[in-house]
Amino acid sequence: MEDEKPSPFVDLIAGGFWLALAIAIMVGAWTMDRLAHLKIPIFTVPGLVPGLLGAAIAMASIVLIVRSLRAGALAGAHWPSVDLREHWRLIAVLVLCLGYAIGLIGHGLPFWLASAIFVAVFIFVFQFAERRRDGTLPRGVLVAITTGLISGLVIHYAFQDLFLVRLP
Amino acid sequence: MLDGLIGFGTAILGFMNPASIVYALVACFVGFIIGALPGLTATMGVALMTTLTIKLPSADALLILICTYVGAIYGGSRSAILLNIPGTPASAASCLDGHALARQGLAGRAMGIATSGSVLGTWIGMIALAFFTPVLGEMALKFGAYEFFWLAIFGVVISGNLTGNDPIKGWMAGFLGLFIAGIGQEALYAFNRFTFEVHDLSGGISLVPALVGAFGLAEVITVMKDPPRPVMVSAYDTVIPKLIDVTKYWRTIIRSGLIGTGIGIVPGVGEDVAAWSSYAAARRASKEKELFGKGSIEGLMAAETGDNACVPGAVIPVLTLAVPGSAPAAVLLAAMLIHGVNPGPLIMVENPQFVYEVVAMMFIASIGILIYGLTLTKLLVRVLQFPAVLIMPIIFVLCAVGSYAIASRLFDVYVMLAFGVIGFMLRQLNFPMAPLVLGIVLGDLMEKSLRRGLVLSDGDLLPFFSRPIAFVMFSLVAVTILMNVPAFNRLTSRAWSSLGGLFRRSAGKGV
Repeated sequence: MEDEKPSPFVDLIAGGFWLALAIAIMVGAWTMDRLAHLKIPIFTVPGLVPGLLGAAIAMASIVLIVRSLRAGALAGAHWPSVDLREHWRLIAVLVLCLGYAIGLIGHGLPFWLASAIFVAVFIFVFQFAERRRDGTLPRGVLVAITTGLISGLVIHYAFQDLFLVRLP
Repeated sequence: MLDGLIGFGTAILGFMNPASIVYALVACFVGFIIGALPGLTATMGVALMTTLTIKLPSADALLILICTYVGAIYGGSRSAILLNIPGTPASAASCLDGHALARQGLAGRAMGIATSGSVLGTWIGMIALAFFTPVLGEMALKFGAYEFFWLAIFGVVISGNLTGNDPIKGWMAGFLGLFIAGIGQEALYAFNRFTFEVHDLSGGISLVPALVGAFGLAEVITVMKDPPRPVMVSAYDTVIPKLIDVTKYWRTIIRSGLIGTGIGIVPGVGEDVAAWSSYAAARRASKEKELFGKGSIEGLMAAETGDNACVPGAVIPVLTLAVPGSAPAAVLLAAMLIHGVNPGPLIMVENPQFVYEVVAMMFIASIGILIYGLTLTKLLVRVLQFPAVLIMPIIFVLCAVGSYAIASRLFDVYVMLAFGVIGFMLRQLNFPMAPLVLGIVLGDLMEKSLRRGLVLSDGDLLPFFSRPIAFVMFSLVAVTILMNVPAFNRLTSRAWSSLGGLFRRSAGKGV
């Protein structure tokens, strides 16, 4: 149903992050304006529910941390060495998606063109190694640009003209 | 009964116009393809279609969404059978016997079983939807603030318990969802909470961009982070369902349909649990237990009937309580609100015909999947061989458009990005997404109910536990949590065994 179980050490680190988040929520809720000038009852203050939820998350985080410690999280624990070259696909997909959504759309460039550029670059980047190995780089460029243009124009037409949805 | 049939007939006739038929056929097709493609889920499909249909009349828009939903849950079985990769999480159980049958050269028969199981499952769920919605709606009228508070908590707790493989993480995700729902202006005093003076946050986090991020971008990242694997499609024969497969396993079909529908009604649990539960129940009751996992027709039939029966089941609490039974149903609920339909306890009083319209939509969707199930196998095999690298960037463009389209603001695109990245990280750490989504949906109901209840009781907590329905719901929450505590389990099993011993002793004395 879901992904494989992470190691106890990873759970310990995750539990620490969650606990920090929960404490931040509780502090934010505790220091939130209690609207005393409105003379509202204490059980309706705006920080009540976030505070309770923060406490619930904190309790669950502590259980997670204790459980990971009991499972031997600290025995031979070490930070995994991360080789960025091994994760180039993950980095590339993040850079491309964030670049498109933050940098390309909504800043004056026509939507269809921005989308065509994104799709073409995405396809080219992820097919580059295979295309270079097979000696089909020019064909790869053509496929990327054609797919980009067709998808950009079709999405633009379908949303804006056919279903009257506004585009960024 | 007769009123219901008349309502259903009227609703079917209402959809018998060229535009609605085309919408239904296209939506079933889109859902079928989305479901079949590994990495694209029903939730993402329904969320993207919600934005595409935002300007359509509500009946047509909801018809499209329900057809996409049903089509996607069915479509997942195709890749499960042909590739041994579940197209959606709901089809994971179908891999076991579906692909085993395909390896025996019976892929066509397996697809036929999946088609008949899915259609019959949808019909069983649909009948339950027609019968139980008025009953549950009447029960829901007795719900007050105290009961709704516990209902929201129960939804998050049970969803966290059942949807992942680590309840603690499921509950954490659910509580985070409840917290996220509280960001922005709160309802009682219009006070800005956790907005950090960002104006756009005052309106809160919109559900659709959050869902599109958690189920769309997160999946794009998940699919693209690993190198593509070669796609090996199994050979297949005729996909026309055999009557004997249906008549021989009619008990399994009815049982799985009822289990699927029942699990659909439980808030936030969804189709994957329905499929696994139906599969497990079929295995327990089967005379051919040894065949399960090795190409059991009964096992595949159970899984496919169960997951599709869950779809109408998940819509029952949407209509009666405004609480979704699954993640795609959460999007459906959001879409209903966007289109001005107000589901909830008063639906059978204010708009009873709408319930029968939804039943009719389910029926039309089942016909759609039957048509595509019998005809589209060759096309689907080609689509399955299509490289993910050509599909994923287009999906992401649709995610961006979908997030923007709801309110025409770039802020929602950034929300989608944030939820996509956070959702991806949480999935890597084994935190399930369904409770998070359910938390975002139920957060408002939970908070309003708690504060309203406290105002009504002047700060007294007793009514949260002393009213009968509230007490039952609180007990369910408590037992669900305690069942995961080993000490409690040991204690109850010891109590059971000593109770059993007591009975045996007294029975022995009696003899």
